[in-house]
Order: sequence, then structure tokens, then C-alpha cells
Amino acid sequence: MPIDLNRYLTLFVAEAGEHLAGFSRELLALEQAVRAGSAGDAVKPAVDALFRHAHSVKGMSASMQQEAITGLAHQAEDLIDLYRRDPSLVDAAGVDLLLDTSDVLAELVERASRGEKPIGDAALSKRLQDSIRQVKDGRPVTPSASPSPPSMAAGAPPAPPAPSVPSVPPAPPVRDLYPTPLPSGVQRGGRRVVAEVTIGGPVPAVRAFLVVKKLSGVGIVTGTAPTVEELKAGRIPGKKLTVELETGESLDRLERALSQISDLTGVSLRETDQPAAPPVAPPPREAAPPPEPARTVRVRTEILDGFVDLVGELLLATARIREVGRALPDLHRPALDEGVDRLHGIVKELHGKVMAVRMTPLALVVEQLPRAARDVARKLGRQVEVELRGTEIELDRAILEVLSDPLLHVLRNAVDHGIEPPHLRLLAGKAATGHITVTARRERDRVILEIADDGKGMDPARLREAAVARGQLEAAAAATLSDRESLLLACLPGLSTAEQVTDVSGRGVGLDAVKRTVEAVGGALEIESAPGVGTRLVLRLPLTVAVQPVLLVGVGAEVVGLPISKVHGAATVSFSSLDRSRGGPLLAYDGELVPVHDLAALLGFEPCGRDERSVVVAEGIDGRIGLCVDALLGQQEAVLKPLGAPLGAVAGLSAVTVLGTGRPVFILDVTKLLAA
Amino acid sequence: MAKRVLIVDDAIFMRNMIKDIFSGSGFEVAGEAANGLEAVEKYRELKPDLTTMDIVMPFKSGIEATREIIKADPRAVIVMCSALGQESLVMEAIEAGASDFIVKPFKSEDVLSVVKKVLGD
Repeated sequence: MPIDLNRYLTLFVAEAGEHLAGFSRELLALEQAVRAGSAGDAVKPAVDALFRHAHSVKGMSASMQQEAITGLAHQAEDLIDLYRRDPSLVDAAGVDLLLDTSDVLAELVERASRGEKPIGDAALSKRLQDSIRQVKDGRPVTPSASPSPPSMAAGAPPAPPAPSVPSVPPAPPVRDLYPTPLPSGVQRGGRRVVAEVTIGGPVPAVRAFLVVKKLSGVGIVTGTAPTVEELKAGRIPGKKLTVELETGESLDRLERALSQISDLTGVSLRETDQPAAPPVAPPPREAAPPPEPARTVRVRTEILDGFVDLVGELLLATARIREVGRALPDLHRPALDEGVDRLHGIVKELHGKVMAVRMTPLALVVEQLPRAARDVARKLGRQVEVELRGTEIELDRAILEVLSDPLLHVLRNAVDHGIEPPHLRLLAGKAATGHITVTARRERDRVILEIADDGKGMDPARLREAAVARGQLEAAAAATLSDRESLLLACLPGLSTAEQVTDVSGRGVGLDAVKRTVEAVGGALEIESAPGVGTRLVLRLPLTVAVQPVLLVGVGAEVVGLPISKVHGAATVSFSSLDRSRGGPLLAYDGELVPVHDLAALLGFEPCGRDERSVVVAEGIDGRIGLCVDALLGQQEAVLKPLGAPLGAVAGLSAVTVLGTGRPVFILDVTKLLAA
Repeated sequence: MAKRVLIVDDAIFMRNMIKDIFSGSGFEVAGEAANGLEAVEKYRELKPDLTTMDIVMPFKSGIEATREIIKADPRAVIVMCSALGQESLVMEAIEAGASDFIVKPFKSEDVLSVVKKVLGD
């Protein structure tokens, strides 16, 4: 029965990816430690964790028959195993090599995810092999826990592990198993038996060891050939094992015991009359109590998204029932309203819980940043360290997911354009190593994410000049911009003051995309910068995007939604009597005159002929505006779904929601609608 | 009666794969554990006929879990699931009382043949 590996591919890719991310994280920590001069036992936990990650990746990829990944992970594991034995051997070159390995492994996994069966990276494999040999030669290292005879692999991996070095000194006895104490119930008896066993299958030495162990359960093993030490070193010439034991059991019973072991191709048992050696007890051992693991379950993200959708539908259905109830005679309404209120309360609570489940620590996306910064810095000859603060702060997973790439970009930007080369930093009286802090904090229902660097900063005047030079801004308009506003010019598509476009950043596409992404999830981007001092990007993010209260309005036969967060109020007016003294109609609202736009006209619908109209006062580009509509239909909790192509490209539409009746309703982005 | 199996592995996808092998062959998958600590607990709770045990796992290795389970129940049947290059760890597990082992990557028939043998079927 062949195993259909494709069924496991998604899980494999996800889990291997997590392990590789962890692998990379530990390596960075290790690198910091090595740079800070701490090594030895201080780095032991990191090395242990590295070993586990490499090992897990190896095991999974072997099961997925991804030999290239298995081979490489195995070599990494071998190298780390040497470090594990002697953490003082960890050095910068080794960490570098392992980081490279981590990258290649991630790429191989990525290719596996596309159904490819990637081949290995021979050059990297060779480097690992050399490094393993060097570490072994450089200092007498006790032999690896992984002697790995080539026969272990079902098929030879394309990147073979380093050959075992014969000159390695023998291991200190792990704990000698034999001779053993007499297990309870074992007849010592007077009979001496010789068992000769031929072994098939993979890892014959281990299987031989199992035979010895099994026989020691039914008698006293007095000698083996090869010796137990040789078996432990993986040596079993001719795959033949001879065991001498003293036992009270019958040959039949011994044969039955051995029949429980797989892959024994020949078993012969005979009695002899040689004397046996007296048994010695092995030393006892203690195990330290381990930490309690957190109890978690893993849930596929689609399932979580499905929950949010369902809860959204519940909210909508509740609204629908409330709506229908309005048509009931007054006599029946209180009872229904009470029920609907209660239902609404429960659904809201459920919604809160579901959203809580979707909350994910920021660590998920920011922990990749130090590594990314390091890679860019190396490429550009900069020195940089990234400090992460508040990574435990949680955000809706949907927001985190879209933030991942923009943050990466911001960081690369900071290294590329912010942090100066070391010699310039020293000249400017700064430390040679640039410092970038990524700080997250919670402010009521918002999360503030700041990315601050101590680099050369941005010059508002230069940004203004660049925008004018590219025709993106009138010179007169540029003159009126404050420095703070000018910094946001860095977000204009295509605008970059970088002298040279590198393959890292500087094409001017980045900040523009970052700003759009942040705004798409309902957040805002601010830039603060001082030339010579550094730049700080502030992302104000909502905790969650999925459900927002909207105001439903009727425009002709259509229904559209406006985010309540942008709505100040509403008024009923006689359209013809509005003040038109300054051109367009103006509404006196809350002590100011607000320009009124006909929403039907903005949307390209037939204008309404009626004179009595409702005006929704909303937040416009600069100050409040009035939107003339035909009907105010009420407020609703709406589950907002992003628009896919091609609707996403329509200016003025920000999302779509579905009413209780099943009718889709577009949510408007008022400012974009006016700008369009 | 179907033999009851406890599957221990820190990778979900390995557990799924092993689970599919067993449930497709007349075994009952009684439970799963993702690390050595859980394994010991689940074993105590479920008393399975057979346990498949990964070796390198967080919190508590498969070897330690095996040692503890065997100490509590010397008749426990534990089959180690090992990967390439774990010979000495497998031997350590055998010393701790594991009944047999399978080497990843494995075919379902290999797993079943090893398991049937250790269960004496």
C-alpha cells in the first residue's frame, strides 16, 4: 500500500517552514551571542533548539521522500551535533554557514510546496562537509551521536553526510548495558546458549543491538560478537551477530522471543557448556523535571476565517429579524425585541471570542526582521542591529498577514537609505553599528507599531524638490507643505531620493505600497524624520478589520454603506433651499457650512428628482462634507470582505458586505470617491 | 478487538501519516501526543496496546518518555520512529525498553510488519 504523499504536502510545508523559521531565529540569537563573546554553556540552549529544528526537518522531509532537503538537514544536524558536544566551538563562520543552509532549505521546501522534487545544493553541501571535518579536526570531539552508516538511508541522498573520521577517539562509555542485572522472572538456570543471527533491513547494527537487548530479557548475556561497543559504533561485519547467554528458558522460548523482531533473516540457537561471567549492575540515572508545555491546538486558518464569516452572517441575520419585527403589531413587538436583543448580545460575544482566537502575536511577522536586516546590511556593507519590543502584542491575523511584506520593505529601506556606512557613522559621531528598533504597543483599540532608525534621516526639502521635479507636485503647492506633510511625499509612487536604485530598495514603490496596505486595513501611516538623526515610521493599526459598523443608505434603487467611523451625523433637508451663495450647495451643520455632494452623481447614478433629501455628514479630504442620499436605512454591523480584482481597482469602493437578505452592498471610501 | 495505538510525534503531518497507516489496517488510533510529556500522560490514560514514539521532541524526548512509560508499565510495547542518523539514539531507546523501531522514510507495509511482530500476531 503506497502512501499518497501529496495528502501531507501542505502540512509538511507549513511545519517545515515553522521549524526553519525557528532555526533561523535561534541562529540569529547565536550570532549575537558569539559576537558579544559569550559562547560555551551560555549558548547551549540555543544550540539544542537548533538541533531539534534541523532534526525535525530532516525527519519530515525523509518521510516526504524529499532527499535533497533530508540530506542538507542531516548535514546541518551533524554540524550542530558537534557544537552540542562542545558549545565553545560555535563561531561566526559556522553560524553563517548554517544561516545559508537555512535559506537553501527554505527554498527547497518552497519548491517542494509547488510539487517539485528539488535537487540539492552541491556547493553548500560541500561547505558543510568541510566545516564538519574542520570542527572535528580542530579539536578532538567525541564521536557524533549519529554515526550514520550509509546503509541507514533507504535511497542514498544526493548530499551524503560527511564520512565518519576513523581517527576519532572512542566515545566515553554512554552507559554500559552488559552484563545486565537479572530481570525479574528470568531464570538464570544452568543452560548456556549461543545464538547466531543474520540481520537484514536498514541499520543492521541497531537491529543487532535490539536482539542483544531482547535476549537479555530472557537470560544473562555473557558475550557478543561484535561487541556491544562495536554495535554502538555501527559496526557489524557481514551483518552477523553472535550472542552467548546463560538462561533457564527453553530454546523454543528464546526463538519465540526473537520472532518478535523484524528483519532477522537467519536465527540459529544451540546449547554449549562454556562458563559465564558474573553480572554487574549498571549505575542508575536521574532525569531533570521538564517544563510544562502550553496546551494548544492547531487550526487551519481557513476554518478561522470561516468562523468569522459565519458570525458575520449571524450578525446580519439578527439585524434582518429586527427589521422584520418592525412590521409586527405593537402588541408583539416588545417580546420579539427582547429576544432579538438577547440574540444580538450573544452573537456579539461570540464574535468577540472568535476574533480573540484570530489574534496572533506580532512576533509572527516581526521576528523575520532582524534576519532580513542583517542580510541587507551585509550586502551593502552596513552594520546594523535590530531590536524588537512588544512582539507579544496581538493583532488580527488578517492584518498581520498583509503587514508582513510592507514591514520587510520598511526595514530594508531603513538599512538601505537610513543607516549610513560605518565610516560615515563614525565621522558623524555615531556608533559604527546602526540601530533599528521595532516597537509595538497597545493604545486603546489600536496597535501602534514604530520602526525607528538612527540613520541619516530624510530631508523634507529634498522630497519636495524631487516631487516637483517629477511633476507630481506643483511648485506652489510644495511651498505650502509643512515638513511633516513633506515627509509623506516619500509615499508617492515612484518618488525616491536615493541616488542609486539598488536591488534592495530605492525604487520608490515601497513606501507607497506600505501606506496603501496600512490604510486598506483601516490604519494610518506617519513619518517623522530629522536629517542626521534618523527616521521613525509610525503605523497605527486597528486590532481587527473584519467587522465594522456601517451606515446603510439608499441611492436610487441601490444600497451602499458608509463606515460609521467616518460619519458625523445626518440631517433631512429641502435640497432646493440649501445655501448656494458660494457655488455648490452648502449645509449649515454644527456651526459650520459643509459642502454637499449628491452621492448619486458621484456614483454615476440617475439623480433623484425629489426635493426632500437626507444628507449624511462625513469626513472628507479636508474637513466635513455632506453626501446627499435618498434614504437612511439604518446602522449595521457589517462583515467587510475585501474586493478582489477587478472591483478592487474601482476608486471609491473599499469593501463589500452581504445583507441579511443576501444582497451584496458596497462600502464606500468617501475620500477616494471625492478624489476620483 | 482492534489493537489500540497511541501515536507520538511532534509533527502533525507525521502523526497524520502514521494514523492513516494504522486506521487503514484494522487498528484503532486511541490517541496522539505531540511531545514526551504528553506521551507519558496519554499512555497512563489510554493504556494502548502499542505506542509509536518519535525520538527528538520538545519538552521531553521520546527516549525519556519511553523510559518513564516502561517504568510504570514494563509490558508497554513501544516502537520508535527514527530518522536517518539516529542509531545511537535508537539504541538508547532500546535500552530504555523500546520493543522495536522503524526508520523514516517508511512504507506502510514496513510499519505494519514491525508492529505485527512486536505484538506477537
